[in-house]
Amino acid sequence: MTYRADVLIIGAGASGGVAARHLAEHGFDVVCLEQGDWPDRSAFPGARPDWELAIRKDWAMSPNVRSRPEDYPVVHDDSDIEPLMYNAVGGSMIIYAGTWPRMLPSDFRVRTMDGVGDDWPIAYSDLVPYYNAIDQQIGVSGLAGDPAYPPHDDYPLPPLPLGAAGRRVAEGHNRLGWHWWPEPNAILSAPYDGRRPCVQRGVCTSGCAEGAKASTDLTHWPKATAAGARLITGARVSRITMDPRGLATGAVWLDRSGVEHHQEADVVILAANAIGTARLLLLSADDRHCPDGLANSSGLVGRRLMMHPFSVVTGWWDDQVEGWQGHFGASITSYQFYETDPDREFVRGAKWALSPVGGPLNHILPMRAGNEVWGPDHHELMGRTFGRGASWAIFGEDLPEEPNRVDLDPERTDSHGIPAPRVSYRISDHSRRLMAFQEARAEESLRASGCRETAVASMIPYSGWHLMGTARMGNDSASSVVNTRQQAHDVPNLYIADASVFVTSSGVNPTCTITALALRTADLLVQHRSEQKVPA
Amino acid sequence: MTTPTSPAPTADIDIHRLTALADVMLPAAHGMPAVSDVKAVESYLPQVLGWRKDLHQPLVRAVDALDPSLFTIDRLSALHEEDEDAYVALTTAVAACYYLSPVVRELIGYPGQAAKTYDPFAYTEWVAEGLLDPVVDRGPIWREVPG
Repeated sequence: MTYRADVLIIGAGASGGVAARHLAEHGFDVVCLEQGDWPDRSAFPGARPDWELAIRKDWAMSPNVRSRPEDYPVVHDDSDIEPLMYNAVGGSMIIYAGTWPRMLPSDFRVRTMDGVGDDWPIAYSDLVPYYNAIDQQIGVSGLAGDPAYPPHDDYPLPPLPLGAAGRRVAEGHNRLGWHWWPEPNAILSAPYDGRRPCVQRGVCTSGCAEGAKASTDLTHWPKATAAGARLITGARVSRITMDPRGLATGAVWLDRSGVEHHQEADVVILAANAIGTARLLLLSADDRHCPDGLANSSGLVGRRLMMHPFSVVTGWWDDQVEGWQGHFGASITSYQFYETDPDREFVRGAKWALSPVGGPLNHILPMRAGNEVWGPDHHELMGRTFGRGASWAIFGEDLPEEPNRVDLDPERTDSHGIPAPRVSYRISDHSRRLMAFQEARAEESLRASGCRETAVASMIPYSGWHLMGTARMGNDSASSVVNTRQQAHDVPNLYIADASVFVTSSGVNPTCTITALALRTADLLVQHRSEQKVPA
Repeated sequence: MTTPTSPAPTADIDIHRLTALADVMLPAAHGMPAVSDVKAVESYLPQVLGWRKDLHQPLVRAVDALDPSLFTIDRLSALHEEDEDAYVALTTAVAACYYLSPVVRELIGYPGQAAKTYDPFAYTEWVAEGLLDPVVDRGPIWREVPG
């Protein structure tokens, strides 16, 4: 039987969950199609002895390595960074670190202030009410008053512990006269909204079994479904359907058995991340209306992919700091080198986040801080470093470039035979200068904090957590895909709620801003519902 | 999805040969035991391969390809070039077996990824102590934007 929803959301991750809850709580009949399943926290590996083995295969961040039925392959032969994601209710929040920084005012004005990239058509001030609201929904632990930001509402929970390493680096930065602040994290420091607090196990990026780390399967979907939203899992969308007037009518999806269904809706919201959303828009091309892909009259769908070049600088002290323990997440952050300084050979900057180093396998096998040494020297290395370190995780602002893109691979497909996305991406020379500077400063930071030894893992390929920019926001339909309400210029009842709409990347972890934007989009949809064009 | 699994059969892997290779990779040195000293391979390989079935066949290839009597760290590096999957399986399996040993964990001071409790309001102590004062005293570092 055909059933037509008010709103169809494609993807039940960060943006989909936030939009679904807000719309359902405001009376919209919401259906969401999610190709993954509800996460089973009892299967999360963090408390098990095989944790460090699991994160290299079944709990890898790469869908290509995991290769679960709900994953689709991402072809990245021509990319300097491997895209990472997780397909489930909650989306990639299941495996994100949980750090929760807002973007900064200058991030929205990089063309005006620094002559690069493009300005956003909205400002930091437009997002502040949504940042404040989403912090409450998520349950953010942090401390107000960070001078790297304009004053804003306090966080609902106190900051997570600094830990021994955080304390040492904080003192080191005080000696240097450099900025530091306790990192805001979407990880509970105290019980909140029926959830338990963090236990500092240090396994956040392979799923939080305690449920202390926020993901929308915990924070939004239970409330959305209680308000009437319907969530269909194991539902892989193959294309968005259109009517002759150029309005979206819903989406075709395949169940786990490969049986095809059609979900009708008045409004379609894409919330499938900057690779999945671009892929679906390109898959929805039709010869009559949109031969180059849906909502793609600008030719920008899939282009301007940004992924944040990522380096890790690790320092080791002479004594133990239990470097495998703590939230991951970050204990402290630094914006000392975030804003543009005209004396440097680059503009913009990077955010630093201090994180644990992991267990013994992460210490000596390649992944993050791995430093493979075999033979007698192995034990000398372990004795010198294990448990004694912490890492600055450094995300550099990634400026948009049209050749960095997502398109459809001509050969590879997912398990349903749908063409796989193909990513072409190069780290620019500008980014390389920016990251080299940051890496050198991070080594200074750790030395000033008492570390005897430091090491740099520069621009790690296995780091594409932050997928942004493939359907940018703008006022001009010739140079952008969606408007300031994240409504497609070409298709007035199609919205994009995920980080595809990012105009520039900023230098901070994007999930806080993704969710604030999704809440804003849903809120504006509620406000403008009477004027919304819908199919007949 | 990985869930706690039964140990895998390892009859097609020569445990003595693998242990001899592992002892070159992780010998007794710097106060630490060799792999064979803690019986890491025979004790933990079935469990490791139960958790990571994908390592099994490449590990068989690695053990077949390497002669323990001639094995050196240089030969291990050569395996990396010749058969990366076999190299990854060998290094991962050997390290996993070794660091599952309670003796080894005790020696390196690693209790596993343990749960800890803490006072969420302990931050008031380091705030009161003035740890953040220099940061606050330097004033805002964000840039005002035009318009």
